[in-house]
Amino acid sequence: MNRLRKYDTLLFFLFILPWIIGFITFFLFPFGTSVFYAFTDARLPGATNFNFVGIDNFTHMMDDPIFLKSLMNTMFFVVFGVPIVTAGMLGLAMLLNFNVKGIALFRTFFYLPTLVPIVATVIIWRLVFNSEFGILNAGLGALGIGKVDWIGGEHTIKPIIIMLQVWISGSGVLIFLAALKNVPRHLYEAAAIDGASGIRRFFQITLPMISPSILFVIIIQTMYNFQMFTEALLLSKGGPNYSAYTFVYNIYKSAFTDLKFSMAMTQSIFLFAVISLVTLILMKVSNRFVYYEGER
Amino acid sequence: MNSRKIAVKASQYTMLIVALMLFAGPLVWMLSTMLKTKAETYKVPPTVLPDTFSLEAFERLFAVQPMMWQWIQNSFIISFFVAAGAVVSSSLVAYGFSRFATKYRNILFPVVLVTLMIPPSIMMIPSYVLFSKLNWIDTWLPLIVPAWLGGAYYIFLFRQFFMTIPQELDEATYLDGGNRWTVYARVIMPLSKPIIMTTIIFAFVNSWLDFLGPFLYIKNPEMFTLSVGLQLLIGQTSQDLPALAAGAFISIVPIGLLYLFAQRYIVEGVVLTGTKG
Repeated sequence: MNRLRKYDTLLFFLFILPWIIGFITFFLFPFGTSVFYAFTDARLPGATNFNFVGIDNFTHMMDDPIFLKSLMNTMFFVVFGVPIVTAGMLGLAMLLNFNVKGIALFRTFFYLPTLVPIVATVIIWRLVFNSEFGILNAGLGALGIGKVDWIGGEHTIKPIIIMLQVWISGSGVLIFLAALKNVPRHLYEAAAIDGASGIRRFFQITLPMISPSILFVIIIQTMYNFQMFTEALLLSKGGPNYSAYTFVYNIYKSAFTDLKFSMAMTQSIFLFAVISLVTLILMKVSNRFVYYEGER
Repeated sequence: MNSRKIAVKASQYTMLIVALMLFAGPLVWMLSTMLKTKAETYKVPPTVLPDTFSLEAFERLFAVQPMMWQWIQNSFIISFFVAAGAVVSSSLVAYGFSRFATKYRNILFPVVLVTLMIPPSIMMIPSYVLFSKLNWIDTWLPLIVPAWLGGAYYIFLFRQFFMTIPQELDEATYLDGGNRWTVYARVIMPLSKPIIMTTIIFAFVNSWLDFLGPFLYIKNPEMFTLSVGLQLLIGQTSQDLPALAAGAFISIVPIGLLYLFAQRYIVEGVVLTGTKG
């Protein structure tokens, strides 16, 4: 029996071997590399000539004004983008939860932008927001509003990136839609008999009942916005005047154009710490607001 | 139906249609731009629909960038191998994590889940270092090989599904002289067609949509995926709006078609994992 069990344990490891190899190679190793290089002065990715500099990188990280700017920009996306996008997703999910004929077709169309490759999304948004030939300025022009340089504007680029996130928010909408469908109908019926208004039903039944999904979506959105990079890179190269220059953009620049590889690793670890901390806080704080059915 | 009900329905349809116009608008504008002549896109104010429908944009697109076909082909090949790898490796690993009563299982499975929480962008540069040490830069290996080594999302998906298959089937197979492998290959996998479909489609779509991976690891234009190629195109033909729109359209079509036929699986994957990649 004992030998049989040993053989079975061996089989277990054989079956999960692909994951073990992948975990060590594509996870532990890169992670270890980044921690290691963060304490050196290596200039190129994977450099072999470097010195150990202790925590110098961490203490000098804030010296770079562009780093600070990128940090502020990312905070802007987290603080404003996350609530706006989450509210947008919930609003759309409620629209798509209407009990009307043809709703399945609407759902299909609303998810479509989410499946557009990001480069194509950027091409499409540039066509729409083009200051000379775009449809948006044409429509505004008809209303007597002058041309706006949306993508080239320091104050418009960040809101545009947030709007773009709403446009491709289909996954969150689907999660909310599934949650809305799980709210027991009898709760609404009982509230209706008691004469509760639609707004009251929303705040006292819908929101508490779907609060676990809200927490889930907020966490995913927070992680996403902390790591926002591709949109900013493709839409305006982080410009104008670094106004869409995000934290991960700065990591990318440190590693590949500034030849400060060790600093890029330091920034990565800093980001990891910040994201972990914020996620932890979100989980803790949410305990008070999130309602889990079946919990006492 | 009383008049109040009709009013409610009417307002619901109005809200849906207004929202749809906002969401579908950019896609319609892309189609419209794509079908215009280059001259027409420079008209002020712009025309909403093309005066004359033309497909010249596609001719110019392939003339400016003859590698388009190559990129489309590359994207298909990479996505195919990623999808195959995701199914094979993740189902094997998930079988291990769902059917073996060993203490190591309870130690290692939480580790799988933890890796789901690690932000991918902090692995971006260290992975680049790894791939350059392995001499994998400018090959498709950084995109394909990890998929063959058990992606955490798909392991989780498969395991959740395997847990719902009754253990009695395994025991019956052992009584008939089967072993661990027979249970996996002859019992579990044939019963898991829905989750296999979800994984194939989901992994294919995610690979097709991936931009950052191929952008970082592939520098040789002949090896580009369609997404990275399109990005090059933005620089080359930034003044030719119809050609750009045509390029965007081409990158959407395969996934759009897949979505129309396999919507159920994509929706399922999103709801189960909470993400599209």
